[in-house]
Amino acid sequence: MEREPIVTFANWGNYTIAFKVLFESLGIRVVLPEKTNPQAILEGAKISPEMFCFPFKVNLGNYLSAIRNGANTIFMVTATGGSCRLRYYAVTQDKILKESGEKVNFIILDQGVRDIFLKVKKFSQKSIWQILRAAKLCLEMLFFIEKIEKKAAFLRPREIKKGKTDLVFSEAIKKLEKVKKEKDFKKVQKEILEEFSKIEIQKISNLPKVGIVGEIYTVCDPGVNFEIEKKLGREGIEVHKEITLSYHLSKKFLFVDWRIQRKIKKYLGSTVGGHGRDAIYEMLKYVKKGFDGVIQLLPAFCMPETTVRPILEKIHQETGIPFLSLSFDEEVAEAGIDTRLEAFVDVVKNYHESKKS
Amino acid sequence: MNQKSLKTYLGIDIGSLTIKFVLIDEKAEVLYWKYERTGGRPVEAIKNGLKKVKDWIESHNPQIEICGVGTTGSGRYLIGSIVGADVIKNEITAHAKGVTHFVPEAKTVIEIGGQDSKIIILENGVVVDFALNYLCSAGTGAFLDAQAFRLGIPIEKFGEMALKSKNPTQIASRCSVFAESDMIHKQQIGHKIEDIIAGLCQGLARNYLAGVGKGKKILPPIVFLGGVSENVGMRWAFREALGQEIIVPKYNTVMGAFGVALLVKEMAPQNTKFRGFEISDKEIECDSFQCSGCPNKCEVIQAKIEGKIVARWGDRCGKWSNLRYD
Repeated sequence: MEREPIVTFANWGNYTIAFKVLFESLGIRVVLPEKTNPQAILEGAKISPEMFCFPFKVNLGNYLSAIRNGANTIFMVTATGGSCRLRYYAVTQDKILKESGEKVNFIILDQGVRDIFLKVKKFSQKSIWQILRAAKLCLEMLFFIEKIEKKAAFLRPREIKKGKTDLVFSEAIKKLEKVKKEKDFKKVQKEILEEFSKIEIQKISNLPKVGIVGEIYTVCDPGVNFEIEKKLGREGIEVHKEITLSYHLSKKFLFVDWRIQRKIKKYLGSTVGGHGRDAIYEMLKYVKKGFDGVIQLLPAFCMPETTVRPILEKIHQETGIPFLSLSFDEEVAEAGIDTRLEAFVDVVKNYHESKKS
Repeated sequence: MNQKSLKTYLGIDIGSLTIKFVLIDEKAEVLYWKYERTGGRPVEAIKNGLKKVKDWIESHNPQIEICGVGTTGSGRYLIGSIVGADVIKNEITAHAKGVTHFVPEAKTVIEIGGQDSKIIILENGVVVDFALNYLCSAGTGAFLDAQAFRLGIPIEKFGEMALKSKNPTQIASRCSVFAESDMIHKQQIGHKIEDIIAGLCQGLARNYLAGVGKGKKILPPIVFLGGVSENVGMRWAFREALGQEIIVPKYNTVMGAFGVALLVKEMAPQNTKFRGFEISDKEIECDSFQCSGCPNKCEVIQAKIEGKIVARWGDRCGKWSNLRYD
């Protein structure tokens, strides 16, 4: 007997709900994985090969929590180009799940519009028009989430009542999660923006600024990076990040790699896979813009980011901008990260002050 | 007699193996300092330590008044909330603060403690770069301790033995487990014990420079701190490896506590949050529970004095830690 497909996918920070709306507006049932928490990380790491990259293990932990709640179909993207292990994520995860006795249908999407479209069409049995509308809603929600993330990063160091921004933000995500139709989305968007505009802030223009670079999954998932944006924000630091999902999507169309390569020629002559080049490019940009610090986030064993780390260190030595590289995996304790962050915040503030005089 | 009370500031640095107390006056002169092992019981250690501070005050100068308390080290939050700290600061900033008081021109600080080792790069007395050991604690105090114990040499004599060596043995010291096997091996093929110890010191210095110090601009003056800086063998090994003079200032083992005491002094709190020396006689308890408010499932830790909760921490959202507990 054919079972009703219940779809799930890996958790990815605040973006997860945008993928939920994609499937739900096509009439497909979705069970979201639990937000990435220590339990998911532990469970995923248990069945993963020890030396595989960290996101791989977290993904598996996510699937397991969703499977427990009834999911039976997993969608996972893979990288067709580039040279990093993301290419093997989906097939290896599929194999591991099957070997651990989970009866799931694992659907692998190439990172290409055509492949995604064809597979979603086959799966949902919906018309082109319906799929396009669902995709539009998904993208719109994605852009909106990135927009409020940016807003929150701006408001956090300035808010008068401490913690207010995070409260509004988490309420906003909860509201967005309930959205099923385009019509609701418009209304919810308006409500959320109104809430954000109600946050009282101090008018400060010259705050210390820190740019976050690194591996996209680690940078964008607060569950993996121990909410680094929030922590820095509470310390009165304005956090910027460029490496978001929409940035990654834009790379497919706008010759971004070609433009980046021209700018980083002095440091690196070709791609090293993943977003290695982008990290160098962003760091140089933050230096130019007069930022007060750069943090690189990477999962342990991430090949591209490990390769560019010495280059980032070199830029730090040349320019004097404070630099911190944090690598994450299931063995890393939050206390260790916090100590480094606290010390780094002091360094950043000193640097900011020294520039004034 | 001097009727006016003497204003003082107390700095406490609680590390993985030891606890350090430093009491300074308004002129930043050290009145009292103490370096002790915690024996793995930080709460007991703080109670005993405070008792000793109190006894010292009563026997030396009862006019002393504690006007501020600061904590640092890996247990800073726990101890900070128990004693009621005015300043809770990370150990990097605290050490840098302390060092620049004694060696204002210092450019590099090497600090090796019980389970961690760090490097701090200073420019004009301000931290510009730092690194902590990562994934591995080879070459820290705990390992040297274990080796001294294994060889039956008191840890205090360990360094002196290294200096007697004329021909240090090469020891593989990338990893402390392998270093130990290599040491045993070298013993069994007949190397002299002081040569092995000297070789170990060299290996650990090399390991530190390759791991923690990698990619950092190590410029003189170089200051060496932490429990391991007491070890003359390690001082010698760093001098050899870097080809530079190694400065070991006064109060080298309690610099973090001194630094945080200085920070409190500079902040000069109007009313200190210090709970008083009475807490060493009170019952202090810590336990934890898992919050089930959201999928984050944070492990929330709570500290209780006489059964009354004084602080909670460990939650991401601030639901527990932001509550008022007084």
